[in-house]
Amino acid sequence: MRGRLKEVRTAREEDSPDIDPGAMGALIEESQDIHRDAMVATATSLDEMVENGFEARAQGEVDLDESRYQAARRSRLFTGAAFGGGLLAAAGVGAVLQGVFSSPAFAASPTDVQILQTAASIEALAVATYQTALTLPFIGGDSANPVVKAFSTTTMQQHQQHLTAFNAAVTTLGGKAQTNPDPALLKVVNAAKPGLTGPGPVVALALELEQGAAETYVANVATLSDANAKKVIASIMGVEAQHAAVLLAVQALLNANAPQLITLAAGNAANLPAAAGSVGFPQAFYPTDQARPATEGAMS
Amino acid sequence: MKRRNQNPGVMAISEHELTVMTNDLDQIHNDVSMPAMKEALGEWTDEIRTSRRGFLIGAGAVAGGAVLAACGSGSSSSGSSTTSTGASKTGKLTGDLAIAALAASLENLAVAAYGDVLTAAGQNKLGAVPPAVATFVTTAKGQHAQHASAWNSAIVAAGHSAITVPDPALVPTVNAAFAKVTDVVGAAQLALMLEGIAAATYQNGISVVTADSSVKVAASIQPVEMQHIAILNFALGQYPVPDAFSPLTGARGQGDYSG
Repeated sequence: MRGRLKEVRTAREEDSPDIDPGAMGALIEESQDIHRDAMVATATSLDEMVENGFEARAQGEVDLDESRYQAARRSRLFTGAAFGGGLLAAAGVGAVLQGVFSSPAFAASPTDVQILQTAASIEALAVATYQTALTLPFIGGDSANPVVKAFSTTTMQQHQQHLTAFNAAVTTLGGKAQTNPDPALLKVVNAAKPGLTGPGPVVALALELEQGAAETYVANVATLSDANAKKVIASIMGVEAQHAAVLLAVQALLNANAPQLITLAAGNAANLPAAAGSVGFPQAFYPTDQARPATEGAMS
Repeated sequence: MKRRNQNPGVMAISEHELTVMTNDLDQIHNDVSMPAMKEALGEWTDEIRTSRRGFLIGAGAVAGGAVLAACGSGSSSSGSSTTSTGASKTGKLTGDLAIAALAASLENLAVAAYGDVLTAAGQNKLGAVPPAVATFVTTAKGQHAQHASAWNSAIVAAGHSAITVPDPALVPTVNAAFAKVTDVVGAAQLALMLEGIAAATYQNGISVVTADSSVKVAASIQPVEMQHIAILNFALGQYPVPDAFSPLTGARGQGDYSG
């Protein structure tokens, strides 16, 4: 369910709801106004990073190899069973070592660059994936559910903004902007492409990416040493979680063969099944077992 | 919980809810489905119990917390009354524990507000309540109770009493807003406000707390509050993810618990 690729029944296009595109456009416009306000805090953090980055670089070169080594060690230990951390965590070892590795000696800014480059690589892949999805008739074409189409378009734009923000942070800290997709996740996307024959598989793929992004940022926010980098990632992780929540709800409605309920029409809540009220937030605490390794998208 | 329009000054937690929160605390320590949060809490409490006590706890005290006075009694919890619970330390919490107390009080507020919504719904005061909305309220309320328990576990580990009152600075505002709620849409909008405050406070708190373990706990909760917001927006017919960057608007500060 949570970000896993699986077989999902394709929604019948004849069941697509009749949505007022004008109203949808107004909602998007309104949300963009709100977004501009929200962007102020992130922009301020980035501005502060610029100043701090200049100071850091003025004090000497960074050792990217050492940083990569340390970050990789931490990732192996703390990003969950998929990367070998599960057994250590279960044995209670993780918490102890985590405290050691998060000490100042191991939390220098080069690690921040790698974490941010990995984040940028995840965003780059998300942008590319939504772009591809929007070329599909049942996602971005005339036969698409209007809400799904609007969500895909807006979410792609939001990921583009995240990519820009992460790369701004990277360059501020003296690193190279990462515009290539996360190599490991790219394989997942490429493997999934032939099966994107309906909304269900596309939603499942998007969910996997969003979940991976959110978990990666949640897992890494404490590792970042730069205060402003921390603010940037903290302002993005919850948004990815929201994307995942929406996709979980959409996925559930598709699975229930009720695509007509994927609508923002007033009063639609009355038509939703009871489970729709909680399917979008299955856990009280956000997990990190599917977080990507911190250096997976880092540049050499 | 109290009925709106009858006693708008009430936003309390019942004895039953306290019991549930206590059980949640046990569950948090035993639930293998949340290893990251458990590790963070374990790390934090270990730090508290060892030599970092002075750094994290400061003077070592609870301000505005450790209160059971209003719970289930029908009296207002929005005032400044504080009742010690047992042999816990007294005084003012500082540092990360002060943030934990603030967070716990916000979670208590959410639990109480959702409880009031459920009570009002049960009394047919909100009109027809869609099943999905009822599920949302019940589930979100339970998750907020778990969040409160998580923060309180760190506070209790430091030798202080759990924070069981809602944020006193916000209670009057929430009570006033709730008094005007007449239907499910109004209740959802109130919930949206509370979730937004909680999410913003956690996001801000990530930059304020000093221990990595504190950051991890806050980071494991902020996205969940954001998910609550997305689903509430969807239920209200609003675009579910309006911001590319989550805002800090409405974030509460330690001043809420400065006494």
